[in-house]
Amino acid sequence: MAGESNIRTALSNPAGWQSLLSFSILALAYLAAFSSRLFAVIRFESIIHEFDPWFNYRSTHHLVNYGFYNFLNWFDERAWYPLGRIVGGTVYPGLMVTAGTIHWLLNSLHITVHIRDVCVFLAPTFSGLTSIATYLLTKELWSQGAGLLAACFIAIVPGYISRSVAGSYDNEGIAIFALLFTYFLWVKSVKTGSIFWAGCTALAYFYMVSAWGGYVYIINLIPLHVFVLLLMGRFSYRIFVAYCAFFILGLLLSMQIPFVGFQPIRTSEHMASAGVFALLIAYGFLKYLHTHLSSLTKSEMRSLFFFAVAASAAAVLMAVVYLTYAGYVAPWSGRFYSLYDTGYAKIHIPIIASVSEHQPTTWVSFFFDLHVLVCTFPAGVWFCIKKINDERVFIVLYAISASYFAGVMVRLMLTLTPVVCILSAIAFSNVLERYLVDDTPKVHHIEDESEDDEEGDKRNKSKDLYDKVTKTAGKVRKIRHEPSGEPESLGGNVKTIVVMAVMMILMMFAVHCTWVTSNAYSSPSVVLASYNHDGSRNILDDFREAYYWLRQNTDDHSRVMSWWDYGYQIAGMANRTTLVDNNTWNNSHIALVGKAMSSNETRAYEIMKALDVDYVLVIFGGVIGYSGDDINKFLWMVRIAEGEHPKEIREGDYFTPQGEFRVDKAGSKTLLNCLMYKLCYYRFGEMQLDFRTPPGFDRTRNVEIGNKDISFQHLEEAYTTEHWLVRIYKVKKQDNRVRLDHTVRKTDIKPKTKFTSRKSGKRKRGFIKNKMLIKKGKRPSSKNKKPSRKTSSKK
Amino acid sequence: MNRAAYELVIFGALLASCCTANQGAIGGDLVNSAVNRQIDLTSQLAKFTTTITLENAGKTATTSFVLAIDPSLRDRLSFIGATTKDDEAEKLSVTQTTVPGRTTDVLFRVDLPKALGAGQSTTVNVEEAYTHAQTPYPAQITQAEDQLVLFKGNLHFYSPYKTQSETTTVKLASNKIESHTKTKAKVEDSSIVYGPFENVEAFSQEKLQIHYENNTPFLAVTSLVRVIEVSHWGNIAVEETYDVRHSGARLKGSFSRYDYQRQLDGRSSVKSFKTILPAAARDVYYRDEIGNISTSNLNEQDDAVELELRPRFPLFGGWKTHYYIGYNLPSYEYLYNSGDEYALQMRFVDHVYDDQVIDDITVKIILPEGSKNVDLSVPFPVDRHPDELHFTYLDTFGRPVVIAHKSNLVEQHIQDFTLRYSFQKLLLLQEPLLVVFAFYILFFTVIIYVRLDFAISKDEASESRMRMQGLLDQLQAAQDKRTSLYQRYEDAIAKFKSTKDLAGFTGSRKKIDAEHKELSSTIKELQGKLKLESTDMAEKVGELQKLDSNLKDQIVLSISLAEKVVAGKMGKQQYIDNEKVYSAKREDIMGKTETLLSSL
Repeated sequence: MAGESNIRTALSNPAGWQSLLSFSILALAYLAAFSSRLFAVIRFESIIHEFDPWFNYRSTHHLVNYGFYNFLNWFDERAWYPLGRIVGGTVYPGLMVTAGTIHWLLNSLHITVHIRDVCVFLAPTFSGLTSIATYLLTKELWSQGAGLLAACFIAIVPGYISRSVAGSYDNEGIAIFALLFTYFLWVKSVKTGSIFWAGCTALAYFYMVSAWGGYVYIINLIPLHVFVLLLMGRFSYRIFVAYCAFFILGLLLSMQIPFVGFQPIRTSEHMASAGVFALLIAYGFLKYLHTHLSSLTKSEMRSLFFFAVAASAAAVLMAVVYLTYAGYVAPWSGRFYSLYDTGYAKIHIPIIASVSEHQPTTWVSFFFDLHVLVCTFPAGVWFCIKKINDERVFIVLYAISASYFAGVMVRLMLTLTPVVCILSAIAFSNVLERYLVDDTPKVHHIEDESEDDEEGDKRNKSKDLYDKVTKTAGKVRKIRHEPSGEPESLGGNVKTIVVMAVMMILMMFAVHCTWVTSNAYSSPSVVLASYNHDGSRNILDDFREAYYWLRQNTDDHSRVMSWWDYGYQIAGMANRTTLVDNNTWNNSHIALVGKAMSSNETRAYEIMKALDVDYVLVIFGGVIGYSGDDINKFLWMVRIAEGEHPKEIREGDYFTPQGEFRVDKAGSKTLLNCLMYKLCYYRFGEMQLDFRTPPGFDRTRNVEIGNKDISFQHLEEAYTTEHWLVRIYKVKKQDNRVRLDHTVRKTDIKPKTKFTSRKSGKRKRGFIKNKMLIKKGKRPSSKNKKPSRKTSSKK
Repeated sequence: MNRAAYELVIFGALLASCCTANQGAIGGDLVNSAVNRQIDLTSQLAKFTTTITLENAGKTATTSFVLAIDPSLRDRLSFIGATTKDDEAEKLSVTQTTVPGRTTDVLFRVDLPKALGAGQSTTVNVEEAYTHAQTPYPAQITQAEDQLVLFKGNLHFYSPYKTQSETTTVKLASNKIESHTKTKAKVEDSSIVYGPFENVEAFSQEKLQIHYENNTPFLAVTSLVRVIEVSHWGNIAVEETYDVRHSGARLKGSFSRYDYQRQLDGRSSVKSFKTILPAAARDVYYRDEIGNISTSNLNEQDDAVELELRPRFPLFGGWKTHYYIGYNLPSYEYLYNSGDEYALQMRFVDHVYDDQVIDDITVKIILPEGSKNVDLSVPFPVDRHPDELHFTYLDTFGRPVVIAHKSNLVEQHIQDFTLRYSFQKLLLLQEPLLVVFAFYILFFTVIIYVRLDFAISKDEASESRMRMQGLLDQLQAAQDKRTSLYQRYEDAIAKFKSTKDLAGFTGSRKKIDAEHKELSSTIKELQGKLKLESTDMAEKVGELQKLDSNLKDQIVLSISLAEKVVAGKMGKQQYIDNEKVYSAKREDIMGKTETLLSSL
């Protein structure tokens, strides 16, 4: 009796159950999000990945060592030699400040964690927070069940994992959290119309601005939402309050970030928000007038009102256009043009097009990154449109715009992923609600079965429903007939089949996610690994070998020239001055490096001399078959150089007459003698990799190289790593020329030295006089030699 | 004569007492009757092993003698030690001393195990190690060239005593000798024998110079920081940070990987070396600023852990690298205690590679928080720096750090230090208690936060909702009880029917009636309260009451029916039919009640 009453009270308090369950599911989702990102750490080590994270790590290090103000005022003389870079003013400091704060907090509690570990684990930590933010947003949009599903989806979806594995210490890692949290708060403020929530939205937006350049997406999407709501006639004072408060506060806060500065009022990207703000104010004003002009008839009033709104909209538009033309507002930047014209970058800004993550997305990668979600997400959109309300308009707009952007650039897949998760969760939640409800025994069954966290979401779903069912079932137990809420009841079998199918799909989704994460997104790319036939692992640590060599065995202030991809890594790992790096703000400087790489040695030497280069670093994959090397990137260097120096560098020169890019004998002469080619293949022609191939066989391009006789005049090999992946050359100092001059002179007077040697030492005096005579002589070279001989013989 | 000797002894004793302990006379009566020097130049070190037969030519017994260090190698001396010929395990005490008149010389006084009487002789082995005594010459070589080094020393045994006969054997690293001092020299493959020289005066010097090929690794640890962190929870963590430099001939020109891979040249370069760690070492790591160095192998052997380290890149002349290795040791092997007094006994410096040269070492020993009375004793002189404080996990007032520094060390310096300190065992509990307390505060705060209302404005709606919820819960409980009463009615009727015990039935009925009345009044009361919150709810409860009274009526009917049938006023069949109708009605009402309740 007592036990029964316990169960009774427990069951009669579904709210407790529900919150306990959703808490544990969210905790599991957090855990799953965190732990599924640790593949790289477990396989390799706690290391910063790729390229940009190295810069972020370096600047975080600076922040931690020298404090916040020194970081803001940091002028980095080790980058962009000889220009330098004002790091504090050209960086989104959110990431560094976040990591620095966590580090400071832990260390002030005497938990001595190294800043590197904080940086490495920051992205997984924030992924967990993202899943919670997704839960909150979806809960506001649809239901708690859908929220939990969405949280579980975003925790493991590869499209997001790709940018947030442990070690991928990049802006996106925290920005997606900030993005979703801002959206959650925005939806909340639209729903409540309270200034408090709008203020929170502005704060979250501020965090987003400090973290990622993608904040522009928020500041365009929210105005778009408001605008569409106006068009749909869904104006309300809730929206008015929410938007006005958000816009003003957000604008002021965003301008506090040094890198953003006055951009929010000076660039076209931000004008939409200002325009909508003006329009909203005008609309509100007209509404206010409306209440006072009661003398007009209803239809008159409506047409007048409509006209006035349209006029004010037109006025706002005209104002923006005028300001742009007058030069008060900067027009759209090239990066934004490339968003609606995918061919734009390729023609005008090759440097943007050269980055692989700026390429248009293929259909395969949609499926690869999102798996089944990409199929179910339109269903979610449909559900939202079917039961439209203010906040669902927002998610629909988000879905539409993000899908477009994701199609344009692979990189923007990242912004699409959360909305896909949310809408798919809504779709799945609807399906499950329909088919899982009322089916008490089955629900129990599934609940017992679901153990791992991927199924945790279903568990919540089922539990959720379980609660509802028991709420009725608990009291109906005695009396069997409970009026069925379902107007059309489906057969038990159909329900079972549908539920099973959905479960199978979700299970496959989880498997796919794990597989993709493990295989595609968990390589640090600083350390490469290859596997032998027996499964043992070989680590190719050439990058760090070379960078560490530079760090230890070159002068502290030596300048290293390399292609911009490796700039951040050289600065971060080798701690040496670089000419160009991944912050590609100065195209002409990059073009100069590209020109040096694509010219012949003499020309290149002039450029290198002008730029004070001490070392040149190239990546060469021909020995191990690494495809991302400099020869494969070479055409981009040529193109970028051509963009700035069209007279000296022509892309066509590097192709064969047939228009092919070949490094073998058939390749163009310009290519076979350019600096990059020579740097990569120096002494490679002597090297025989295995017995089936000739010496000098390039494994990446599978050809025998065309120019095996490479020698340098102004450079010398300084270091080459174990697998030849990184080759470093030292640029000889100019004073070597003295020696060169000398030898030339020696050969010139060879016969004469023989002559003098036979005689006494006195002859040498004549030799000096001789030299003076040459100086006096009008023409050097052959003609001058004869008289000099004569004079000497006279003596 | 005897008296004079006596006076001399007294004078000597007085002199010894007025001078400091490490000062004294050379004692000119001693003679090196035979000296045999072995100079080992097979590695980067210059290791001297000298066997001296000392003869006391004077009249008085002596207990010590003086060793002088060759002026040309004076600054390079790293280690000096002496043993007697008979017992090599027993080390003689060697202390630096000064002698009036020989201020420029570096002199060491060696105490003999027993006094050397007049005319007696004894044999002493002296071991010396010099670092950086061989200089690369030429100082720069290309990758393909071999490394040639120049050794400059003294042809004779530099001694404050006269030497009657001496020979010197120099062992070289290779048999390629460019040039060497020719005086009385005999070259045998890779060694040169000088001497024998007869009757060499005290402090005699003659140049010895050998120029030869030495491709053994010239590797020097330019700075080593050894941090030992003692935890009384059973672990000692050791981390050593190294700056290593190839101190041989500098690499001239380019480094060609192609040539290096064909293994034709670069013979003097260092590709890898072995570090031997204590046998109990666990969790070994080998890293540098940019992460783990993946090129290392760990061999666990019975008596040691052998760590094969390969720097990220081969070290050529002049190249340097920086790395750190760390490991954990169980504390029971190194930490001894008696009560609250502890003694830590560990190596001051450990093995880095064979024939190691360590230019500078700083040892930092981090003791547990609250350690006091620290006393460090090291078998050789070290510089003690002032103690520092170190903060790590859960520290409040910091752990004391003992810092000692020494320059120029070789293998012979691998010796134990002893560090004594006192530590109260109770302090061990401080950190767990800290954690417990922190969590206690955390949970307490959460409890307070959840239980108390911190809102600055009252939310009327939610408050009334909560009040209503409470009332409804009470209502639910009361209604549940009331529903169960009807079951009891039925049971009582059934019992009555079978036993026909009217008195008992009336009694139980009255009891149930009383309970029912009580519950109904409770519900009524609740209804009154609910009315304040929501009239809608109150109406529903009113409906509930109505249904209940209906139900009550039904049960009363059913009771009267039962009474009739028991009294025999009604036929059985009739009763069953009637009862069926009533019970169906009751079911119906109960169903209605349930739906009403769930709608609340």
